[in-house]
Amino acid sequence: MHVLSKEDFSEFINSLIADNSLNVVGVKSKGEKFAFGPLESANQLRLDYDVTILPPKKYFFPQRETLVTYNVSSGYKSKSLEDVKPTIIVGAHPYDIMALLHMDEIFRETKSDPNYLSRRNSSVIIGVNIQNMSESCFASSMGCATIDYGYDLMLTDLGDKYAIDVGSHKGADLLNKYSKNVKKGLARDIQSVGKKKQEIMNKTHQKFGFSSELIPEMLGKFYEKTSFWEDHSEECLSCGSCVLVCPTCYCFDVIDNPDLSLKTGERERTWDGCLLEDFAKISSGENFRNTKATRYRHRYFKKGKYLFDRFGFVSCVGCGRCSSTCLPDIANPVNLFNDMYDESLKIGIQIDPATIPDIKIKTGNTIDYAPKIATIVKKVPMTANETMFELKLDDGSELGHQPGQFVQVSVFGVGEAPFGVSSSPTKKDTFELCIRKLGNVTSKIHTLNEGDKVGIRGPFGNGFNAELLKGKDLLFVAGGLGIVPLRSLFNYVLDNRNDYGRVILLYGCKEPRELLFGDEILSLEDRDDVEFKSTVDRCPENEVWNSNVGVITTLIPQVDFDPQKTYAVVCGPPIMYKFVIRDLKSHNVPDDHIIVSLERRMKCGVGKCGHCQINQLYVCKDGPVFNYSKIKGIPEAL
Amino acid sequence: MKPKVAFFDFAGCEGDQLQIANLEEEILDLLGQVEVVSFREVMKEHSDDYDIAFIEGSCTRLQDEERLKEIRKNASVVVAIGSCATIGGINSLKNYQNMDDVKKIVYGEKASLFDTYPARPIDAVIPVDAYVHGCPMTKAEFLHVVKSLLLGKKPEIPNYPVCVECKKNENVCAFERGEFCVGPITRAGCDSCCVNEGTKCWGCRGMVDNPNENSQKEVLVKYGLSVDDAIGKFKLYFGWQGKKK
Ligand SMILES: Cc1cc2nc3c(=O)[nH]c(=O)nc-3n(C[C@H](O)[C@H](O)[C@H](O)COP(=O)(O)OP(=O)(O)OC[C@H]3O[C@@H](n4cnc5c(N)ncnc54)[C@H](O)[C@@H]3O)c2cc1C
Ligand code: SF4
Ligand code: SF4
Ligand code: SF4
Ligand code: SF4
Ligand code: SF4
Ligand code: FES
Repeated sequence: MHVLSKEDFSEFINSLIADNSLNVVGVKSKGEKFAFGPLESANQLRLDYDVTILPPKKYFFPQRETLVTYNVSSGYKSKSLEDVKPTIIVGAHPYDIMALLHMDEIFRETKSDPNYLSRRNSSVIIGVNIQNMSESCFASSMGCATIDYGYDLMLTDLGDKYAIDVGSHKGADLLNKYSKNVKKGLARDIQSVGKKKQEIMNKTHQKFGFSSELIPEMLGKFYEKTSFWEDHSEECLSCGSCVLVCPTCYCFDVIDNPDLSLKTGERERTWDGCLLEDFAKISSGENFRNTKATRYRHRYFKKGKYLFDRFGFVSCVGCGRCSSTCLPDIANPVNLFNDMYDESLKIGIQIDPATIPDIKIKTGNTIDYAPKIATIVKKVPMTANETMFELKLDDGSELGHQPGQFVQVSVFGVGEAPFGVSSSPTKKDTFELCIRKLGNVTSKIHTLNEGDKVGIRGPFGNGFNAELLKGKDLLFVAGGLGIVPLRSLFNYVLDNRNDYGRVILLYGCKEPRELLFGDEILSLEDRDDVEFKSTVDRCPENEVWNSNVGVITTLIPQVDFDPQKTYAVVCGPPIMYKFVIRDLKSHNVPDDHIIVSLERRMKCGVGKCGHCQINQLYVCKDGPVFNYSKIKGIPEAL
Repeated sequence: MKPKVAFFDFAGCEGDQLQIANLEEEILDLLGQVEVVSFREVMKEHSDDYDIAFIEGSCTRLQDEERLKEIRKNASVVVAIGSCATIGGINSLKNYQNMDDVKKIVYGEKASLFDTYPARPIDAVIPVDAYVHGCPMTKAEFLHVVKSLLLGKKPEIPNYPVCVECKKNENVCAFERGEFCVGPITRAGCDSCCVNEGTKCWGCRGMVDNPNENSQKEVLVKYGLSVDDAIGKFKLYFGWQGKKK
């Protein structure tokens, strides 16, 4: 413990400000409120603040930032972060420091986010113990009113001086280099700091009527209580304020901004939030969280359960920002959880403290948000709205995908969208995508021609486990565009035909003219090592169709298969799964013999932006291929 | 070939066309990509051969409908610019009054000679492909829409409320300053510019697709507005609630 008189402290801050190689920010007043902003002088600091409008997370994960720049003639380039000045944050409260520690885990897990982490690594956090607690703060209930780690320096106001706790070498160096007259703290100072911290921990305007350790379990028992969620979210404005101000929210959107020349531009990421109406909506119109209640519930689950199951912490630090920003006053976690607890007592639900899960956090490669360039080598229109594109990476490398994986395709200035790879991995130097015209990216791709360039990121996600399926009978069930990802496995199996048992393909689409890969698929009828059946929902007068008419499920009873030896591989429009799985189960196919590939709105493709989430799972990272036995208990999945 | 562009004005203040004329340097760049064939603010000539039609102002008379349908026939892309055209705008304030009174106020003695009917946005009369909201619209958004159209994409216009941008801009909320704001139900896209300037949102961009109007009214009342005044807050810009063509 060190001490620094207030005057010397001001000088310390001023000498930091004087160093142009540093970006010094701190808490200043903004109207009647407070906000972190650039410091021009130590006098501007308001370390007696209660809470800032936005948390200091904005310095590491800014409201808007350029991820990559592009130039139609030279491709995409990640934004260089090397010239980023180290940011010194003065005055972070302990709950906000805890929130940054949560964000560190999130941005590091599986694939690390270079933008967040490089800014974070070069920063210095000078914390301050809370002097005035905001009315809505419940950090004490979350164990975050004080903190013993995670900072470089931690200040405690002792009247005419600050006690300074050094938390890292970085902090010690900074103090050595920029301050004068630092003294060793006396036993008396240490005692005063201890007393202050104790006071803060005991002080709160808001608290839970139960132990916060019950939160994850309690949530688990309330998921299905629809009316509870509806009642609490009735007044929700879907304004997203509660998530935008939250220090532990990290969802984002990605948007292309072309310059006026239309030849160059940048791809920007910007804060997004699961409370906004279109957050989980896809271009076919399906909205996977289409009510206020389901969106409202998702926020509490994300913080209270999904992240707990993944990382072992409830990702709320009790800053109270959400409560005070929500105009209808429905976003306060204290009120919600207290209501939930009362309700559980009333209806007699027993809730045990959650056991901290056994956590294996994987860390891995750094994400490269810049796509590689690929050239369209062949364009084959298939139907009025679907076209097949054969692509080759310009750097000569192989895509190297597993069947069932997807890529993110970029069109300069328009955006990026995910597509399942449709060719088998046995086809090496090029790969194929089959794309339906729906919205911006897909319509623009349709205007491109052979020789034109697109961007490619990936392959991403979990594909089909072709090894595991060896020796098994395979029943492919494809609806409409669902044939596209299945084809990568199907063709792989045909290329390694002897490794597999029976191969059955059931394929349905709306009308004959929507049949994809027509010649290729119809030629299957000539093969005796593949059983093939197709159907259309209806056949208009002017079209010809010599096969079945009816929905895809009507084909299942037409094939005779041994459910114990057969693996069913299913992909189609969202509504199809329920019915196909119901019928497969009625044919005694075991749950773990059903494999599905799912579709959700995507932005990042690497498990960060939050768009593709189905409860605790990410379609881009844990899927898109899932074993049914793993997701049958996941309510948002099917 | 450069797309041909034409500008048209209906009932409005022409503030939006002024915005475009004021784009100065940017417009020069832009003009490199398009050919303007009709633009009353800055040129005398007029042509009916155009690809993109920008329409300003709202439709306030039955006669206007014919002209709009003509434009729709000629243009492959129709863009409504400014609140009057996109949502009916301030013009639809008159929808709250008796039409005969409106005519008297506007035309005095000769009122009965004139034909006026509830003001409505362009898309109440003809289908509209893209919108540049705002009263007046901003240059930035106009350019965003034009760039998008030239790239062959539908301009992304947010379907979330102004609060989203307002929070990103770290404003002190108008309600906390004792003001009343309709940002929570108003379509974002202006970067919450009025609140950034220290005022509040009046709703000039119209409502999001699915606004929770009841909750917004309750909030206004909770913060001290009378119920009538709360309803009044909706009148300024939300006067037209009809169906789109
Ligand atoms: C794993 C996976 C595989 C897919 N495979 C194929 C395929 O092989 N062929 C095919 O035609 N389509 C496929 N889709 C759907 C395809 O991604 C969407 O049709 C596409 O994103 C629409 O983009 P857009 O820009 O044209 O539409 P817009 O409506 O303009 O959408 C804007 C943006 O929202 C996001 N988005 C919208 N809809 C979807 C969606 N359905 N899925 C994911 N993100 C979405 C994208 O980021 C998109 O760029 C797949 C989706 C997923 C998740
Ligand atoms: S809970 Fe409140 S802050 Fe959050 S979206 Fe709904 S109204 Fe907005
Ligand atoms: S959920 Fe609310 S209280 Fe918890 S960290 Fe986020 S903003 Fe703060
Ligand atoms: S999904 Fe989680 S991180 Fe994303 S906005 Fe919602 S609560 Fe925040
Ligand atoms: S000032 Fe208006 S737009 Fe901004 S957060 Fe408050 S209510 Fe929303
Ligand atoms: S803040 Fe409101 S009134 Fe101001 S420009 Fe935006 S939508 Fe219009
Ligand atoms: S988390 Fe971003 S697409 Fe899955």
